[in-house]
Amino acid sequence: MSGITFENVTVAYGRTVVLDALDLTVRPGEVMALLGPSGSGKTTALRAVAGFVQPASGRVLIGDRDVTALPPHRRGVGMVVQQYALFPHMRVDANVAFGLKARKAPRAGIAARVAEALEMTGMTAYARRYPRELSGGQQQRVAIARALAVRPDVLLLDEPLSALDARLRSGMLAELARLHRELPDVSMLYVTHDQVEALTLADRVAVMDSARLQDCGTPHDLYRRPRSEFTASFVGDANLLPVTVTEGGADFAGTRLDVPPAGDVAPGASATLCVRPHLLALGAGPNTLRGTLTELQWRGATHRLCVDVAGHRVKADVRELREAPPLGAEVALHFAGEDAVLLPTGVARG
Amino acid sequence: MAERGGSEPRTRPFPFPGGQAPRTPRGPRARGAVPAWALALPPLAVLGLVFLYPLALVLRQSVSPDGGGFSLSAYGDVLAQAAFRDALVNTVLIAVGATLGAVVLGFALALVIAFVPFPGGKALSRFVDVFLSFPSFLITLALLFVYGTAGMANGLWTGATGAAHGPFDFLHTPWGVLLAEVTYFTPFVMRPLLAAFSQVETAQLEAAASLGATAPRIVRRVILPEALPSLAAGGSLVLVMCLNEFGIVLFTGAKGVTTLPTLVYGKAILDGDYTGACVVAVVNIALSVALYGLYRSITSLNGVRRARA
Amino acid sequence: MLVHSRPARWAVWAAFAAVFLPVFALPFLVIVAASFATGWSGALPSGATLAHYRDAARGDALDALVTSLLTALAASASALAVGTWSALAVQALRTRARRLGRAVDTLFMLPVAVPSVVVGLSLLVAFSRPPLLLNGTPTIVVLAHAVLVTAFAHQSVTAALSRLDPVYEQAAASLGASPAHVLRRVKLPLLLPSLSAAAGLCFALSMGELSATMMLYPPDWLPLPVTVFAATDRGSLFSGAALAVVLMGATLIVLTAVSRIRTRASYR
Repeated sequence: MSGITFENVTVAYGRTVVLDALDLTVRPGEVMALLGPSGSGKTTALRAVAGFVQPASGRVLIGDRDVTALPPHRRGVGMVVQQYALFPHMRVDANVAFGLKARKAPRAGIAARVAEALEMTGMTAYARRYPRELSGGQQQRVAIARALAVRPDVLLLDEPLSALDARLRSGMLAELARLHRELPDVSMLYVTHDQVEALTLADRVAVMDSARLQDCGTPHDLYRRPRSEFTASFVGDANLLPVTVTEGGADFAGTRLDVPPAGDVAPGASATLCVRPHLLALGAGPNTLRGTLTELQWRGATHRLCVDVAGHRVKADVRELREAPPLGAEVALHFAGEDAVLLPTGVARG
Repeated sequence: MAERGGSEPRTRPFPFPGGQAPRTPRGPRARGAVPAWALALPPLAVLGLVFLYPLALVLRQSVSPDGGGFSLSAYGDVLAQAAFRDALVNTVLIAVGATLGAVVLGFALALVIAFVPFPGGKALSRFVDVFLSFPSFLITLALLFVYGTAGMANGLWTGATGAAHGPFDFLHTPWGVLLAEVTYFTPFVMRPLLAAFSQVETAQLEAAASLGATAPRIVRRVILPEALPSLAAGGSLVLVMCLNEFGIVLFTGAKGVTTLPTLVYGKAILDGDYTGACVVAVVNIALSVALYGLYRSITSLNGVRRARA
Repeated sequence: MLVHSRPARWAVWAAFAAVFLPVFALPFLVIVAASFATGWSGALPSGATLAHYRDAARGDALDALVTSLLTALAASASALAVGTWSALAVQALRTRARRLGRAVDTLFMLPVAVPSVVVGLSLLVAFSRPPLLLNGTPTIVVLAHAVLVTAFAHQSVTAALSRLDPVYEQAAASLGASPAHVLRRVKLPLLLPSLSAAAGLCFALSMGELSATMMLYPPDWLPLPVTVFAATDRGSLFSGAALAVVLMGATLIVLTAVSRIRTRASYR
């Protein structure tokens, strides 16, 4: 069992820094999702572990082994990429056996390990097929089987589901979760731009943006207690409202709100209040925001309301309404104080 | 057939997942593994022994005729010969003429194949590929049957007019060489052009046509600028190949038409004058390699432009 | 696309045919027709005969065909080996030392620029005295052909390598395959279609090589192009045409066979 440690890892191409002083530890047996928009440095971090990019400074450790200077084939990681990268000239079983043969595993054991890996991914029936004869989802299962056959301590997954359509994706997500339960010793680094994948699968999520680590925590923490505006808006949907911090609460456009204080923002300072749309309810209550209804969308089980509160757009998701208020009506929304989080004001992001 | 004279893009952007593509994906190298420059040594050694070293010997023999001491006397001798000056002028004139002919003809034919498509056009481009893999002297051989003293064209003429001799008697003149070279080298211009034309978007042409542009105007304003780099690359390669052409001139068998390559052959094999042959060879190499350098810089510029686009 | 009116299109096609057919298709038809004839003094050849082919199937002509095939085989095999190696080396250099890679690439492309006759002359000058006395042996002919076609092998493989998606070698490396293993089990198999295309090209070029061969051939090693020249030079145009047809036919058969291999390899 071994985890992954990034120690102050910086990667640059010429003058462009694509990964800026990353410090991060993936614990043994843990699934860590690297979540961020494209260009955030998450793929670079993964490729630094695999050995395809060389850090300008810092160290990468697998377990307690410093692998920074090791070539890719000596690192002993499994890797699954978005475009599958199955060898087109080999049948499925030869693809899965490739790593074992490359590592000169005893011939007798190879067949058993291949069978086991195919069994685990449900691809036993396809062992004699060529990759081009398989669907995208099946190819990705083979790619996972190929990576698992060498029994790596560390599995790197680079946007593994991005090339699949939405329906297949949710099925594969459940499969990956099952694999993680069956292989509790394998540490996984899972790069994705999709928050659903990250929240569903990961034990912890590292949020990245602009080559930097922005936030790291359990999915629950990141969702309920984000520590930055970027995390709040990138992980789930959020209302970010400019407030002034007061003693024991906050002031939003003249309305006093009773919200828990934040450690790093002092009374009198400006801050951002984060409230998830689905935690707002219609009607007056403990923390009430009043405004004009400007948009109403029916989304099946819910209604999405957009309310103009003192010039700010507040989104609320409420259970499907029998009788929706007309556009332009005055409405009140309220939320429980403990459902809101005060954040230090940062640079607003779309 | 692969790219003989093609100007394909040399590099393709890596499909890097998720992020921007770094220019040089350099990973760490295994400790104790063979470095890249050492990997290049064995083929370089082979090339050195069988190509570079012999070329160096040619250069040495041309400047030290008797195997000792530096002397440019051989150059003086050769450059003073009228035969050499004629050969040089012939070579350059025929090469430039043949290149111009091949460029014009190749552009026109490629234009039709690419933009006025007809059934069998694909088979035709395959035929062009096959054409490229045949030796040049076959063209001269064929022309002997078409325009030779007792060939098809003259036969038709004498049959129709009853004259004793036909009017076609240019095969053993520089014009015969020119005709054969234009024929043989036109496909070398067409291939890169067809590749470039396949990059021109139909939508662009249709947009231009819908704005009222006439066909000649579209060719001049839309297609030609797009094709110009490939045309320049193909043209300069053909120029080099024309300068070096030997088979066509040899088969023409004309005493009056000597070019630098046939002069090298004549001096070395027929006269046994190796030093003279080496001098002519050095002049020919200088001419061709200079032009080839031009071709390489054009193609690498094209590569840069493509990478930026 | 470019010409929209129907009559104009037909006019363009007619002009195209009027140029293309006589200039490019006619030469081959003429040679084939002449190879079955004994004279040509009218619009069409006369005196139909198979005698030229009977001659071509025995004696010196048959020897020349075998000589050409053996030379082309040896030259293209060694050109493919050296050209593939050099292309791989240039690719490895390009990621680490860009300029050096480009310089090596230029060196390997240089034989394209040097006249073939001069390549022949240089080998004659270099290998006419001990310790490397190759003048007068078949080896020097093979050597010349190999030098001339290696550049094309190098160019084809370089182009194929740059089209090869790096994701396959990276997947292989992450599975623990050493660079040598990646080369043998992943890169070369994936390059197989391009390698066979390069081999076909080299073979065809070597089959038709005349310039350097004229400088070098020993009396007991006469490739087909030399015998075609010898025949036409002494005025036997029609038997020369038959030999030329044999040359084209042999080249086409080999090219077709190679492209079969290529199709099989890419569909596997």
